[in-house]
Amino acid sequence: MTDDRLTGSECWPIRSRLFIGRITDRADARSFYRAGLMLAASLLCSCSGPQSALDPAGPEAEDVAILFFTMVVGGALIWCSVVGILFYASRKKHAYDAGQASRIILWCGVVFPTIVLGALLSYAVWLMPNIRPGFGEANARLRTIDVAGEQFWWRVRYQNAEGSAAFETANEVRVPVGERVLFKLTSPDVIHSFWIPVLGGKMDVIPGRENHLTLMAEKPGTYRGVCAEFCGPSHAFMAFTVVAMEPGAFEDWTKARASFDGARDAEGLALFLKHGCSACHAISGTEARGTIGPDLSGFGERGSVGVGALVNTQEDIARFIRNPSEIKPGARMPHFSMLPETDIQRIAAYLKGLQ
Amino acid sequence: MMTIRWKHVLALIVILPIAGLLIGWSGLIGIRASSGHWAVTDWFLHWVMRSSVSTAAITVQAPPLDNPALLPPAAGHFESGCATCHGSPAQARSTAVLGMLPPPPDLKGVIGSWTDEQLFEIVKHGVRYTGMPAWPVQTRDDEVWAMVAFLRRLPDMSSGQYTAMAGLATGRQVARMSAQAITCDSCHGEQRLGEDSLIPSLSGQSKTYLMNSLQAYVQGRRPSGIMQQAVSTIPEDQLREFAAHYASQPQPLHRSAADRSLVARGQELAEKGRAADTIPACLSCHEREGGNAAYPHLSGQKVPYLETQLRLFRGGVRGGSSYSHIMTEAAAHLGDEDITALAAYFAGRESVGP
Repeated sequence: MTDDRLTGSECWPIRSRLFIGRITDRADARSFYRAGLMLAASLLCSCSGPQSALDPAGPEAEDVAILFFTMVVGGALIWCSVVGILFYASRKKHAYDAGQASRIILWCGVVFPTIVLGALLSYAVWLMPNIRPGFGEANARLRTIDVAGEQFWWRVRYQNAEGSAAFETANEVRVPVGERVLFKLTSPDVIHSFWIPVLGGKMDVIPGRENHLTLMAEKPGTYRGVCAEFCGPSHAFMAFTVVAMEPGAFEDWTKARASFDGARDAEGLALFLKHGCSACHAISGTEARGTIGPDLSGFGERGSVGVGALVNTQEDIARFIRNPSEIKPGARMPHFSMLPETDIQRIAAYLKGLQ
Repeated sequence: MMTIRWKHVLALIVILPIAGLLIGWSGLIGIRASSGHWAVTDWFLHWVMRSSVSTAAITVQAPPLDNPALLPPAAGHFESGCATCHGSPAQARSTAVLGMLPPPPDLKGVIGSWTDEQLFEIVKHGVRYTGMPAWPVQTRDDEVWAMVAFLRRLPDMSSGQYTAMAGLATGRQVARMSAQAITCDSCHGEQRLGEDSLIPSLSGQSKTYLMNSLQAYVQGRRPSGIMQQAVSTIPEDQLREFAAHYASQPQPLHRSAADRSLVARGQELAEKGRAADTIPACLSCHEREGGNAAYPHLSGQKVPYLETQLRLFRGGVRGGSSYSHIMTEAAAHLGDEDITALAAYFAGRESVGP
C-alpha cells in the first residue's frame, strides 16, 4: 500500500513531464482508478444527507429527483451512442454518398433530437403541477406557516386553525409528516430564496410581495434548509433546521410552544431584561416582547446559534452575545462584550435552558 | 554681457535652498515675541489670515442663531477655554497674555468685522501660527455654532450679564485675585436649566452613567469641545466625587408638554418601538426596574437636550461609554418627527425606575 501511494503521488509529476499522455503504466493506472473511485464515492456521499435534493423526503423533491435521474440516464445513453457512432465512423473504410449522408443528418440531427427534446419537455411540463402544486384556491384550507427571510435569519410564524398568529419562532421550521403545508414567504429587506432541498424546489422571497410555496414531508427526520439567493455578507449563515414530525408529536409541540413559559429561570430572565435584550427579542411567558430580532422562546432546543454559524452550546451562545458580527459578518445585533463576563455566561445558560 | 544659461538656473536652484538652510542654522532669524513684527509683516500676516478665513467660509452656511438656549453652554466654555487669552466682560486680558505675538485680540473690537460663517471657521479650525487653537473636536458643529451665537452678543454684554450667563460663582471674597470660579453647577445647576436648555440635568442620574460619561469625555470617546475642555484636567477621584454628588440629588421635575398628541406618539414609540423600522422600545433599556445602571435616566431632561442627543446618535457621532453603540444602532432609523415626539414624551414623563 505504502509503495503504491509513493508511486502514485510522488512520481506523478516527473512521469507527467517525461511521458505525457502515457497513462497505461500499471502503477499510474491504479492510482487513477483509486482517484476515480474516491471522486465517485464523494459524489455519492453528497447524494444523501439532510440537505440533498437526491435523497427526497417529500413528493415534490421525489419528482425532482426522478426528473434528474431520468435526465442523467438519458443523457448518458445519448452520449454513449454518439461516442459509439463517432468511433464506428472513424473505423469505416468507405465514405457515404451524399444521399445517404443527408438521410443520416435528417434522422439523427433533426428527427431524433426533436423527439427526445419534445418528450423531455412534455415530461417536465407534465411534472410541473406536481412540483408546484396547490396554486390558488386549494391553498386556502392548508396549514399555513409565515416565513420572513431577513438579513440574516428566518422569522417563522405559525397560525391557529382560525388563521390568527399562534406563536413565532426563528430559524427552525417544524412540519407534520403527511400533511401539505403552505409557506407564505415575505422579506422586509432584500431578496432571499427559501429552499428545503429534501422537500422540494426553492422559492424566491421578495420584498414587497408574498410568495406561496406548498410542501409535504413524507419521512420524519431533521433536515436542513438554506437561503439560495445571495443576500449579503452572511448569506451562508442562513441555514435553518427543518424537523418533520409525526402528526401527534407535532400537535404536542405546537401546544407546548403556544403555552411556552420562559420565566422558569427567574434569575436568568432578570439579567436578560436588565441589559435590555428584550428591546429586540421576545420570549413567551415573559415581558420580553421585542420583535426586531429572532424570537428566543425554545431557543435551547434549536439546532444552532447564529443560524447555522455555531453549535448550540452555552459557550457558543456566550460567544455570540459577546460579538455577533465577528461570527456572522453584517449581523444587526450589537456586540455585548462590555457586559460582565458572569452576566454573559448566566444569560447564555438561561437561553440554553429555554427548552 | 553674460547670457543666462540653464546651468546657472540649475546652480541657483541647488544653492538657494542650501543658503536658506544655512541662514536658519546660523540663528540670525529672530523669533523673539518681545521685538514684535515689522508693520509690513504684521499687515501681510493679517491680510493672508483674513483672506484665508473669507475663502474658507464661502461653503459654510449659518443656521439660525437667535435661540437664547445656545448662550449658557457657550458662555461657560468661553469662561473655561477662551477668557484666559481673550479676556471677558468680567475680566480684562492679563499683561502676560498681551505679551503674546500676535496678542489675542479683545473680541469686543473685532467680532463686528467678521460674519457668522467666518467666526465659525475661526472657532472650529483655529488659526495657525497664532495661539488660537481649533475646537477640541471636529464633529460638534452644533457647539461651535452656539459659540458663534455667544460671540455675536459678546460686544454688548455687561460684566453682570456675562457672570449670570456663564453661571459664575459670585460670592464676595476680600482681595480675591483669580478669576471667578466656574463649577459644574455653573451650567448644570438645576435652577439654571430652563425648559429650552441644551444642557442635561444631572440630578438623580445613576452614578455609573455619570462616571461612564465623564470618563468617555476625558478619553475622547464622547466628542464635545465643551465637556472635554471642562473635565479633561480633573483627576479621576474628583470626577468620582462629582458623579456621586449629582447621583445623590433628587431627580428633576418633569413638565408635561402642551401637545398631547405629540406626547402620545412619543409614548407609543418609547413603550413599543416600531419594529418595521427596526426601532426598539426605549423603555426596554431605559428606566427599567432593576435595569442596568449604565443606561441613563431620561425623564425630566429638557426637550432641546434630548433632541440634540438623539440627532447626534442618529448621525453616529454621539459616542459615549462602552454601551453607546447600542444606542447608535437604536437611533439609526429615527425620523425627525420621532425625535420630536420622544423628546416631548420623556421631558414630561413622570419619573419611574432608576
